[in-house]
Amino acid sequence: MKLLLGLALGASFGAVLQLSGASSHTKITNALRLKDLTVMKLILSAIGVGLIGVHLLDALGLANMKVKDLYLPGLLVAGLIFGVGFAVTGYCPGTALAAAAEGKPDAWVTILGGLLGALVFAFMFPDVETYLLSFGQYGPVTIHESFGIQGFLLAVPLGGLCLWLAAKLPKGGAVR
Amino acid sequence: MTNDAEPVAPIIPWWAGGLGIGLVLIIAVALVQPIGVSTQYVVLDGVLLHEIFPDVASQSSYLAAAAGGWTLATYEFFFVVGIPIGAFLASLATKRFTTRLVPREWIHRFGSMPGRRLVWSFIGGFILLFGARFGGGCTSGHMISGVSQLAVSSLIFSGALFVSAIVTARWLYGDWGKR
Repeated sequence: MKLLLGLALGASFGAVLQLSGASSHTKITNALRLKDLTVMKLILSAIGVGLIGVHLLDALGLANMKVKDLYLPGLLVAGLIFGVGFAVTGYCPGTALAAAAEGKPDAWVTILGGLLGALVFAFMFPDVETYLLSFGQYGPVTIHESFGIQGFLLAVPLGGLCLWLAAKLPKGGAVR
Repeated sequence: MTNDAEPVAPIIPWWAGGLGIGLVLIIAVALVQPIGVSTQYVVLDGVLLHEIFPDVASQSSYLAAAAGGWTLATYEFFFVVGIPIGAFLASLATKRFTTRLVPREWIHRFGSMPGRRLVWSFIGGFILLFGARFGGGCTSGHMISGVSQLAVSSLIFSGALFVSAIVTARWLYGDWGKR
């Protein structure tokens, strides 16, 4: 039952990625070049809806939260590395799967490279853990908990701000 | 099929896409847990490696922890398997399935040689997942799920990711210096 739910949710996610242009190399590349901000509007609105929905669920005690650990120098380095791969391929790990299913051979190759990258990281992990993750560890920190307030008090206005920004952000030079 | 045949314009507007992704996240958080993709690359690696070289796979505590029990029959893996299925059906339904080899922006900048695009896609994919595993998440796990939970780790990862991706893309496609 849980497997079917996963499949259904994943399929909905994949269909939305495909239909909204998030799996398009052209749309992603031009978003990162700041020439066509449609994908930025998409991401901002997704986060806006997510912030409000997830924290309202949490306030009702219905959310299964899972916050990732904060480790400071490591996360910054990781984000910088990820960004280079994102710009070179024009895909992220999820949209590469969607793009591959649309028939794009470069997305298939991105996935193969990704499988190797993940495997290499898995075997390097003991060393990475020793040198980079061993300091600057703060555990699963959230903004609202560090201020000691209810999540939705912060998430609802912030989510509204994201939605407003998403609406206000110009599309930019539309891609022909 | 020529490269120009690749349909680019989205079928649904940005706000419908944002609403759709947001709703998937909300349903996932209500029923199971926040969404995530990149861990499943490690899980597939681990299960495949365990099939071929069980000893080598077991040596890595990281693989063993990610692919608990060396099985793919998990909610998390099935979520990730669903993504290409949904995208495939959506592209068929909207007649946008295309086997174009080199994307348009890449051709404009680097020419239409398939080999070059494929080699860099492989290298880029390697960097992408290496970074994602290093950071413990990707666009879905950190940017969508993490930021929505107000996680500090996810805000930092997402900020670094965007700065790096924008600088790299503008450099790669020669946008600096021309207005």
